Amino acid sequence: MTYIGEHLIFGQAGRLFIVLAFTASLLSSVAYLFSAFRKNDKDAWKPLARGAFALHGISIVSIFGILFYIIYNHYFEYYYAWFHSSTTMPTRYIFACFWEGQEGSFLLWTFWHVVLSLVIIKKAPQWEAPVLSVIMMVQVFLCSMVLGTWIGDLHIGSNPFVLLREHPDFAAMPFASMSDYLQKIKDGRGLNPLLQNYWMVIHPPTLFLGFASTVVPFAFAMAGFMTGKVREWIKPALPFTYFGVMILGTGILMGAAWAYEALSFGGFWAWDPVENASLVPWLTFVGAAHVMLITKRNGNALMSSFLLSILTFVLILYSTFLTRSGILGEASVHAFTDLGMSGQLIFYMAFFAILAITLLIINWKKIAPAKEEDSLTSREFWMFIGTLVLLISAIQIITTTSIPVYNAIFNTKHAPPVDLIDHYNKWQVPIAAIVCLLFAVGQFFKYKKTEMSYFIRKIILSFIAAFIVTVIYQYYMELPRWQHVALLFAALFAACANLDYMIRVIKGNITHSGASIAHVGIALIMLGALVSNSKKEVISQNMNGVDLGKDFPNNENIMLTKGDTTRMGNYFVTYEGSKKEGIHIYYGITYLKLNNATGKLDKQFELKPTIQLNERMGNAAEPDTKRFIDKDLYTHITFAELDEKPDESSEYSEPKTVMVKQGDTLTSSNSLIVLEGLSTKVDGSKYGLSKDDIIVAANISATDVNKQVHYVSPVYIIKGGMQFSDEAVIDALGLKFLFTKIDTKENKIELKISEKKSNRKDFVIMKAVIFPHINILWIGCVLMIIGSWIAVRKRFAELKRVA
Amino acid sequence: MKRSYIIALVIVALAVGAIVASIADSSTYATFETAIDNPGKTYHIIGKVNFSKPFEYDPHANANLFCFYMMDSLGVEEKVCYNNTKPQDFEKSEQIVVVGKMSDKQFVAEQVLMKCPSKYTETKKSS
Repeated sequence: MTYIGEHLIFGQAGRLFIVLAFTASLLSSVAYLFSAFRKNDKDAWKPLARGAFALHGISIVSIFGILFYIIYNHYFEYYYAWFHSSTTMPTRYIFACFWEGQEGSFLLWTFWHVVLSLVIIKKAPQWEAPVLSVIMMVQVFLCSMVLGTWIGDLHIGSNPFVLLREHPDFAAMPFASMSDYLQKIKDGRGLNPLLQNYWMVIHPPTLFLGFASTVVPFAFAMAGFMTGKVREWIKPALPFTYFGVMILGTGILMGAAWAYEALSFGGFWAWDPVENASLVPWLTFVGAAHVMLITKRNGNALMSSFLLSILTFVLILYSTFLTRSGILGEASVHAFTDLGMSGQLIFYMAFFAILAITLLIINWKKIAPAKEEDSLTSREFWMFIGTLVLLISAIQIITTTSIPVYNAIFNTKHAPPVDLIDHYNKWQVPIAAIVCLLFAVGQFFKYKKTEMSYFIRKIILSFIAAFIVTVIYQYYMELPRWQHVALLFAALFAACANLDYMIRVIKGNITHSGASIAHVGIALIMLGALVSNSKKEVISQNMNGVDLGKDFPNNENIMLTKGDTTRMGNYFVTYEGSKKEGIHIYYGITYLKLNNATGKLDKQFELKPTIQLNERMGNAAEPDTKRFIDKDLYTHITFAELDEKPDESSEYSEPKTVMVKQGDTLTSSNSLIVLEGLSTKVDGSKYGLSKDDIIVAANISATDVNKQVHYVSPVYIIKGGMQFSDEAVIDALGLKFLFTKIDTKENKIELKISEKKSNRKDFVIMKAVIFPHINILWIGCVLMIIGSWIAVRKRFAELKRVA
Repeated sequence: MKRSYIIALVIVALAVGAIVASIADSSTYATFETAIDNPGKTYHIIGKVNFSKPFEYDPHANANLFCFYMMDSLGVEEKVCYNNTKPQDFEKSEQIVVVGKMSDKQFVAEQVLMKCPSKYTETKKSS
């Protein structure tokens, strides 16, 4: 049978290139290996290795192009295009569709490996054969992730060119045997609305370039073993390592910025397992970069350079396993589909870890620690201590993040800590403070040895400056815990000291300022994160809620009825109404401030948080943020009736039954209700009561939003031994009261309150949070990236000078 | 050499401390029965929402109180109250995890985590 309208040629070409890429990387790896171990100067293997590498690179680029073309043209006969894209989605997110899926992200990863390999060939030509042999071996494994073949019952990789009708989920469906099935597929499933965001276009490529960069020090370390040049690999690997640290750091920060800006996690860092999975290798990567610097300087810490380079690469594979295997399950707000390839990932991790450790043991003697220890006053020593502190940080984070893994191995039922953020902060805040202190003093220690008098003379200025700023800052900001104050001081000290070093020691020479600028940046990131998080203030405190006791402390969401103005923090807010545009509903929230001179409310600005409608994948709320120089005001819709029209009928809703005592306050949708008291002095004549009968009235006041007070007195009657109640109504507020019971023991009465349905107007429930001084964090990010870039350029320049 | 041993010792001690702290702070996946037997202790409970019983959410009275009925993996049903707004697309959740503890009458959740399979895997239906 032939199917109508399919574009099979692209898939066939795509599959062919995948097989080519896989085979070529294997060939290239082997050929480079022979080239690296050649006995004489005649290098017959190299042209073959290079040819295979070229073929591999071309294949990867072709796969990229074809898959992109298929998605761009909405060829829904391909499962990948159908699953990840749709025609209704804006074209600018096409790239996002590409790497939404696992196959696309593995391709992205292989692509960056090819690019990095090209740079290595250019910048470190002597190392081409052994280093590329390792990288191509990694490519063999990564390409197998998109191979999509069966060896017996073993499924190797998931192919992005699988046809919809051939996909295991659909192959058995009736449509798969209809020749015109494509005409019936109107649209693709589409990109998750949460991911339809420009961050999704730039964050994954950056992060994957960072992931890919970790292979460079690893491959150089392996090349060091292979060639016996166990020290010489450090220098050429160093610029790539710093580049990787910069890019991976940028990628992680982009993810944080995305979470802060567009996703409703209520902050930029939530210690989510997925965030941790890339932070931990970054920490060890930073450690690797610093110990490599020590080794380059004086030959010490060689073992650490090997260990951390290996560890970082293995952790990247582990992190891929964590996020791609579905093992995190309930532990993460992120979710990734499990394509059933966790076994494959574990195998790769084990393969490279065992290979690396074996080589390490074989070469143990050659890299044994130096006899001579670094002086206590040398920069090397403190850099090494800093690396160990980062390692502790990494161990702590990965231990807790891996709880689901222990459960899987030992079949236990441990769950992540209940207060996750507190659990991590308890460790990480003091660690961050120590790290900041170390890079405050670090630069003022010279390599080899430092005169203490010189050191103290230099550092004292920054110390005093940081101390004074800390005191002033803490006076105004009042950070809640001593750990916070410690980090505040350490971060300020680090920023001051590095700035001072740049000005006084290297005299503003930009080429040599990379490290200082990057360290100022990281200190500011710490400072911004600390202050904006520990002093974040939820201003949408709901004041009209009944106190529910300490079991229900949360009152962070506030209800706004259309047109009404409510006080919130220093502001007044008005909900103006909602507007639907395409798949977005915009909620207009106006912020006003009381003008003391006129006594009127002046409009300050309007925010438009949105809800993106997506029937199939769930609606997604997106916050809107007003940015000030010294703070951000974040506004987020947490609940809204999306489909129900406000009821305009005059009916009353189901009554609400409450037990109240004198003085108790209740809320209705438009007023505050208070039981003022009970009274027996009621004119009961209209009920025809006799002397023995009892009549009690509940005197109730209801204060509306305009502060006008309405009074009402429902009565409770016992007549001839029979109890009955008579309702009382406040027409202006659409409220109806029934006084139905008296509890003399508790001194309480029972009221049934019902409201007119039309009272329930258009409303939203929102949350508003102020993040103070968050711009310090963003400035820090920019400085860190610029500083790292300067350092990377300097290291590359050094490489050139030697070559 | 001595100094390196001291440093190594401190590092190992801190690493062990971090691992112990992680275990000490960890919670447990449990069932309602365990939570009822240990009131006041916080647990993670995995289960399904009972959609045949109505949710209690009256934003006009209290925007920060949402109650529903949930069945744990052993089929025990309890009322769960969550001190927050009703989560988006709660109706679409298949499996949920509630984190909290048992009080007198109900399970008081501090966190409600939902997994909506529809968000990530397509319902197996074409056109």
